[in-house]
Amino acid sequence: MDGARLPMASPVHKAVTGGHEHASASPPGMELSDFASESVIVSDEHGVIKYWNAASEALYGWPVMAMIGQNLATLRAPGQHDVDHASALLREGRWDGVVRRRNLAGAEVTAAVRQIVRRDATGTLLDIVEFGRNAGAMSDAASLRMDAELQAYLAACWELDTSPARALLDTIAEQRNRGIAVDFDQHPEWVEELLATTRITAVNDRAVRMFGAHAGLEQMVGQPVGVFWPAENRSVLATLIESVAGDRSRLETRKMVSSGTIRNPTIRAWHCAEPKPPGIVFVTINGEANDDRTSWELQASEGRYRQLIQYLPTALWQADSRRAGEVIDQLKANGIRDIGAYLDRNPDLVEHAKDIVRVTEVNRDAVSLFRANNAADLINPVRYIFAAAPGLAKRVMVAHFEGRRNFFEETRILAFDGSIIDVLFTVTYPVLPEQLDTTFITMQDISERLNTEQQLRKLQADFTHAGRIATLGELATSIAHEINQPLAAIVTNGETSLRWLARSDQNIEKVTQLTTRIVSSARRAGEMIHRIRGMAAKNEPEKRLIDLNEVVEEALLFIRHEIDSKSVALSAMLGTELPRVMGDRIQLQQVIINLLVNSVQAVAQSGQPTRRIDIQTSIDENGSIAFSAFDNGPGIADGNMEHIFESFFSTKDAGIGIGLAICQSIITAHGGRISGSNRPNGGAHFHFTLPVPTIGGPDSAVVGFIRPVQ
Amino acid sequence: MLAKVIGLSKAPLVAIIDDDEAVREALSDLLLVLDLSCRTFDRAEAFMADYVPGRFDCLITDLSMPGHSGLDLLQRLRIIGCAMPVIIVTADTSAATRSRAMRCGAYAYLTKPVSSEALARHLQSALRHEGPCSGSDGRGAPPDG
Repeated sequence: MDGARLPMASPVHKAVTGGHEHASASPPGMELSDFASESVIVSDEHGVIKYWNAASEALYGWPVMAMIGQNLATLRAPGQHDVDHASALLREGRWDGVVRRRNLAGAEVTAAVRQIVRRDATGTLLDIVEFGRNAGAMSDAASLRMDAELQAYLAACWELDTSPARALLDTIAEQRNRGIAVDFDQHPEWVEELLATTRITAVNDRAVRMFGAHAGLEQMVGQPVGVFWPAENRSVLATLIESVAGDRSRLETRKMVSSGTIRNPTIRAWHCAEPKPPGIVFVTINGEANDDRTSWELQASEGRYRQLIQYLPTALWQADSRRAGEVIDQLKANGIRDIGAYLDRNPDLVEHAKDIVRVTEVNRDAVSLFRANNAADLINPVRYIFAAAPGLAKRVMVAHFEGRRNFFEETRILAFDGSIIDVLFTVTYPVLPEQLDTTFITMQDISERLNTEQQLRKLQADFTHAGRIATLGELATSIAHEINQPLAAIVTNGETSLRWLARSDQNIEKVTQLTTRIVSSARRAGEMIHRIRGMAAKNEPEKRLIDLNEVVEEALLFIRHEIDSKSVALSAMLGTELPRVMGDRIQLQQVIINLLVNSVQAVAQSGQPTRRIDIQTSIDENGSIAFSAFDNGPGIADGNMEHIFESFFSTKDAGIGIGLAICQSIITAHGGRISGSNRPNGGAHFHFTLPVPTIGGPDSAVVGFIRPVQ
Repeated sequence: MLAKVIGLSKAPLVAIIDDDEAVREALSDLLLVLDLSCRTFDRAEAFMADYVPGRFDCLITDLSMPGHSGLDLLQRLRIIGCAMPVIIVTADTSAATRSRAMRCGAYAYLTKPVSSEALARHLQSALRHEGPCSGSDGRGAPPDG
């Protein structure tokens, strides 16, 4: 508000000291007002005058001594009734218009004034400052028009083109000329036709807000005024339009019926002066809007909004991206469709956008997130936001181009102290009828969450690893057997060779064969040790394209002896030509070993005369690779079915119950599913599936680490 | 060599059962250098299918195998009245298994990796002192009394 910035802090002081001969005692600001050429009057909310400058003395003739403490209303010229603008002033914070007052000599003074309400930070009214100048030299009509034009600032304004209604207006004028009374209330067809043919050429924001419903400015301009004009006041508008359309000198004022959106409205209409073409009519409506979205209210709500934004617990930026919007519109007009490819070819455009899109406002959290000293550090082009996020600005532009409402990304920022912070970054683009200069950017510090996730991942890896170690422990005998067998063969072959060499009939051929066998057995033992080490090691999981059948065969090596020693008959029906899956070999081996250990233990407990485990690999109807292990053990007890994949759920005395939970977490992390069920004729069936990657994936290459499901 | 020491008119035949091919072949070659003939089987069932009383003079078997275990086989042989010496060669070092095997009538219980010296000694003694299988059906009496 202009007035609020004027250096007029202490008019009360002036009132006490009286005339301007003591001006030197006044604060410096007041001295300036003393010498202003405009009348400056300060009054309290009731109109009691507290300050009256020299120009006021000149305009109204009343000396300052006489006016301090007087009510401004006492100056009102007799017969001026339309002066009750006080409520509008208090509501809006500002009022502009023409007033008529008595001067010292009793003559009427016409003054064009602007009154401004000053309030403190809490909204309490401090005083009312009025700036005035003489409008007396104008004709009555001119001063009325001036008043209307001044007041239009507060009004909903419409610029209407009546020329398409020319024929109807001529007809009505002809009737009037013939002495027939023109009463629109009697001619609803005239009202409708006039409002249907008169087109809107321009409207101001307030008119859009009050009458536009959900339409924006663009949707209103060009439409018949009747589309938006409230039903209760259609004949009033028709009367006014008809009245001023043919007469450039007229200015009509009417009270309107309160309608849905506005209370006690005053409507004014006049024919626009040159250089507007004839037929252009200006209509203003002053009044209180029922939705209370008048400017004072808007300011108050704006204030609340700012307050809200300031204290919002999320870092928030408001940016003006209209210039980027223009660039985008231009690209669209030039027929660009694939904006991503276009920006890849023209990276300068992205760089340019970082400079032309400017931050207009930030909140406290934004300041602290960027480790800035104050908000001003952030009120800059948006470039700094993208400093640690390659490609982000381009993606934001692409989303803007595609007309998306929002954009989200987990990214990083470079704070002003040099630290890199992980954030969840969002952009909300404005859409009509919102103000297009407000693009919102929010950022949430997610470093803590990412840390937690990383810890969780580590914990999960530890858990999985612990599970492997436990399984290795359980299978120690079986594994020892797998090492011991080749070692036994090596020892025997070695001794046999020595015996041959000690003989007189040395059989070199035989010794060569035995030595070859020693080498191959040693290799076999070495491979087994390598596998054990793989299972025991705590490596980052690594996804590669692997053949599940190979994983099954390797898993069987760990458990073979366990199966034999428990006299379990195992059959494996491994599907042929299965497509490869993307996965971590060790982890999938762990899953299969765990499932088989469970099955072996189940059938060993069951007391079945023949203990059977059948495993199968196949490709299922969804194109996924499926693994099944069937056993003829006791099956899963009904009550346990839902819990079998839970951690620390075990039906075994010695079990800690992490095996199946780990299986599930591994399979889930591979994008697959695992399930357990009972077979119709007894025994359990454990089943998992793994998705087959779509072709085109890198062959056998490391493509990334397994991340737990978010 | 061993056969000469024993002085049998018919060369003795030893059966070897082990599911592990490498171990099986190693034992078979060891017997070859000891001048003993042998037949190898990968599991108890295969041996039994080939078994005729009197055919084998000694059996070397593993304990833990797919299908019937070495102990099962030993018991089965004793049930059908076969007294053929059975040398157990196993990775199982537990005292319980050892005593079970001995109770069932194992001639010797050797753990892998087995020393060729020990195995040769036990073979020698088994073939010298123990008669071949005397089935309860009376067939398979030692050819040389």
